[in-house]
Amino acid sequence: MASQRGIRSRRVRRKIGQGFELQLTSMMDAFVIIVVFLLKSYNVSQHRFTSPQGVQLPFSTSTDIPTDSTQVIVTPEALTVENERVLDFIQSPSLVGSEFHYNFKTTDLDDQGRRIIPLYDALMKARQTTELLLSKSKVRKDGKPMPFEGVLALQADQKIEYQVLRKIMYTAGTAGFKVFRFLAAKQEH
Amino acid sequence: MLKRPSRKNSHTGSFEVNLVPILDTMVTIIGFLLFTSSFLSIVSLETLFPQASPEDIQTKIQEKPLQLTLSIEETELKLWSPFQKIESQVIPNTQEGKLDLKTLHEKLIEIKKNFPFEKALVFIPHARFPYDHLIGVMDATRLIESSDPPLYAKNTVTGNDESLKELFPVAVFGNLLEEP
Repeated sequence: MASQRGIRSRRVRRKIGQGFELQLTSMMDAFVIIVVFLLKSYNVSQHRFTSPQGVQLPFSTSTDIPTDSTQVIVTPEALTVENERVLDFIQSPSLVGSEFHYNFKTTDLDDQGRRIIPLYDALMKARQTTELLLSKSKVRKDGKPMPFEGVLALQADQKIEYQVLRKIMYTAGTAGFKVFRFLAAKQEH
Repeated sequence: MLKRPSRKNSHTGSFEVNLVPILDTMVTIIGFLLFTSSFLSIVSLETLFPQASPEDIQTKIQEKPLQLTLSIEETELKLWSPFQKIESQVIPNTQEGKLDLKTLHEKLIEIKKNFPFEKALVFIPHARFPYDHLIGVMDATRLIESSDPPLYAKNTVTGNDESLKELFPVAVFGNLLEEP
């Protein structure tokens, strides 16, 4: 019985090998489903925010999509404004494991340690650039250029402490940025 | 005179579509979509730099505002009003040492019932408070969940009761200007 089955299966295998034709219809079906799924989940948005390397964003249940604005990224090593590195943190030898301490050089701070000088300079430069672009833009309000909105998008690691955020927000506030957007990864319900 | 039928018609009986170029296109589209789509969607939470205009100050002098404030300490949360418009409420951390965001949310709903037009909440976190916890607290204070009891406020224009969707969506950090 067992030997009969073996012979039969061998015959069948030979038959398939001789006149084999790939069934493309089922593969087409699968591909169509994949394409539809990808198109449905394809995220088309105006902003240019991506998760920076080495930074794990916090999760939020918010549904607000961030619009384009001046971008500050706080990585464990440095602080960047509009993708330009403006400041390096002190990497002390007392770092334990993967814990990062965002220590500033004393020469980088002023105003009783509240303001970060290189960040202030970079934000003032960004503000001046934006104001120049707005003044040259054809979009006007009552014949005058559109006002500077002063919106700052902040991307930082989820383990960063509030004291660092406070310094950044204070500095941005003194540079004319009055609205801060904390960027986070969307948490699905 | 009738026209002679075309020979082309005789071919339609055994017509087969060549799927190979269609498959090629599909593979290309899938590749493009996989490379260009971002599966991480980024959202934002807005906060304002604290500032007061002279008009606001005048209004505040005439009528004391709620100015609902949330102090975040290492072991507890505290809801209070600098003008004593509400009784101060302390929410200790859970037994696991985590922030009790559920109780905070419930207490804010109770406050919102009495002050339906209030939108701002002043945060005063301690210096070492982690960013992800801060986002968690902001999430708990911003919106009214579908599982929460419905809240209504009278529309001043139409005079109708309208259901509220937001709790305290305007976040301001109260200790930004303080010296560290």
